Amino acid sequence: MKQATLDRSRQTVDGMDPALKPRLKRRSTFEYVAWAVSILVGAGMLYSVATNPNFKWGTVAKYFTAESILRGLMLTIFLTIASMALGTLLGLLLAIMRASSVKPIAIAAGAYITLFRGTPVLVQLIFWFNISALYPNLSIGIPFTDIGTAIDTNALMGPITAALVGLTLNEAAYMAEIVRGGFSAVGKGQIEAADSLGMSGAMKMRKVIIPQAMPSIIPATGNQVIGMFKETSLVSVLGVAELLQSAQLIYARTYETIPLLIVASLWYLVMTLVLSYPQSKLEQKYSHTSVRIPRKSKKVTLTAPEGIAR
Amino acid sequence: MSTAGTIQASRIRKSFGPKTVLKDVDLEVASGEICCIIGPSGSGKSTLLRCINGLETVDSGVLKVNGEDFGYYETDHAYHALPPKKLAQQRTRVGMVFQQFNLFPNMTARENVMSGPVLVKRADKKESAKRAQELLTSVGLGQFGDRYPAELSGGQQQRVAIARSLAMDPDIILFDEPTSALDPEKVGEVLNVMQDLAKRGMTMVVVTHEMGFAREVSDSLIFMDDGVVVERGDAREILSNPKEPRTQAFLKQVL
Ligand SMILES: Nc1ncnc2c1ncn2[C@@H]1O[C@H](COP(=O)(O)OP(=O)(O)OP(=O)(O)O)[C@@H](O)[C@H]1O
Ligand SMILES: [Mg+2]
Repeated sequence: MKQATLDRSRQTVDGMDPALKPRLKRRSTFEYVAWAVSILVGAGMLYSVATNPNFKWGTVAKYFTAESILRGLMLTIFLTIASMALGTLLGLLLAIMRASSVKPIAIAAGAYITLFRGTPVLVQLIFWFNISALYPNLSIGIPFTDIGTAIDTNALMGPITAALVGLTLNEAAYMAEIVRGGFSAVGKGQIEAADSLGMSGAMKMRKVIIPQAMPSIIPATGNQVIGMFKETSLVSVLGVAELLQSAQLIYARTYETIPLLIVASLWYLVMTLVLSYPQSKLEQKYSHTSVRIPRKSKKVTLTAPEGIAR
Repeated sequence: MSTAGTIQASRIRKSFGPKTVLKDVDLEVASGEICCIIGPSGSGKSTLLRCINGLETVDSGVLKVNGEDFGYYETDHAYHALPPKKLAQQRTRVGMVFQQFNLFPNMTARENVMSGPVLVKRADKKESAKRAQELLTSVGLGQFGDRYPAELSGGQQQRVAIARSLAMDPDIILFDEPTSALDPEKVGEVLNVMQDLAKRGMTMVVVTHEMGFAREVSDSLIFMDDGVVVERGDAREILSNPKEPRTQAFLKQVL
């Protein structure tokens, strides 16, 4: 009753119900200046890029869907998928080894991770390509007997194999750290609960630890995929005709360096954007819950406010 | 087996680094007995309980659970740690209910209850699901089998946790402050389930601050302080007539 009269009186004074007035956002001078500057700079850059004939946009368009470029793109995609898939599996294995209570196994995994994360991928790639200098023959057989066969390492380790081995082994080290981070996010109480039920180590890993670590592992793995897509360009030094090398092969002939680098870059950009969409979905899905999202929606029951204080 | 459901511990010692948490603790629990452990924070109650199901290993002393040396086998000169499989087998006979429930959040209430029988004992899935339903019903949660822990209240989660322990058909269940993380109005529902269990003859060791439960349900009571058992005996007797000054001081504070 009293409220109503109050409201009416205010309304007559101001002419408009204060409760209905819009609330305006504050824009600082800095924001206006920033808009002006960035529009000017952006327009200038666009103009320069569009009008500078040296960019040769016609050439870019011509080669954008050239067969050798597309073949290079396919190889890049293949290398990304294959090295990520193998690297993730090996990384999971390394993370499990790292968490082992058997010391030598944990130490071995730790040493692997340190070694492969501590040296540049480029160096590792060149190393695997040249492994035949260290081991000219690879022999498979039973140690200390003459049963088995020897294979010429040089023939085995072609550029693509070396690229795949190098990327996979390197990625495994990074994935191992990601998986380990996921493991450590699983509460101690969960492991104790599993222990008290008498679960074996492998069962605990499979049913309790890994499912609960997934929400933090999956988005991080998505990021690795996006990173790996661009990292594959490094294997061009081995002469693998992936996307970048395909572009290089063309401009070595035609000297149209910049346009072809733009062609490659545009493909990297397009693929990154394509991958970013599922990635952001994954991140959204897993960001708020540390556990699996329940299949059914949560039913909220309101309790009377006059409960006992906690 | 007459030894099923019994605990005998004598002169148990346990240290974490330089800190001795259990100092020659003795404990004797008979089959079907309800034993409450009370004492101030940091006195070693949880540690004692955790030793009984192998979440911690004792440094020295004798610990027999269900009549067997727990986690170790004895030779003339030493106790040797059992292989993990044997230890896991012993653990299946001792249930544990935690203060923080520790339900598996990636499983529904029913899957939680089934997890022990199916994953550990390799029991038939259908049969285990049926049994899980019965157990959930017995703790008053027959309707909640398909809910995930995040969709249950604390009291409901703790009752699921009790059902999960029961699904293993343990001879003993250990409770570590099972109601301490609950809203006051939810404490009763969990204590009722525990009282039911007690009536059915389950051996229970309960670390608790609920003196009412200790008085009404418990057979024996142990008061611990600073890693030592200060006083032990009949629950009602100690609660109404504590002999030791330290027990008297503690009870005066909590009652
Ligand atoms: N894993 C551990 N490492 C080091 N110290 C520990 C560990 N667990 C327990 N302690 C120490 O042992 C002592 C006894 O701990 P415990 O948890 O058994 O006490 P409590 O009686 O259960 O106390 P509360 O009532 O607070 O639960 C404490 O001082 C604690 O800090
Ligand atoms: Mg405790």
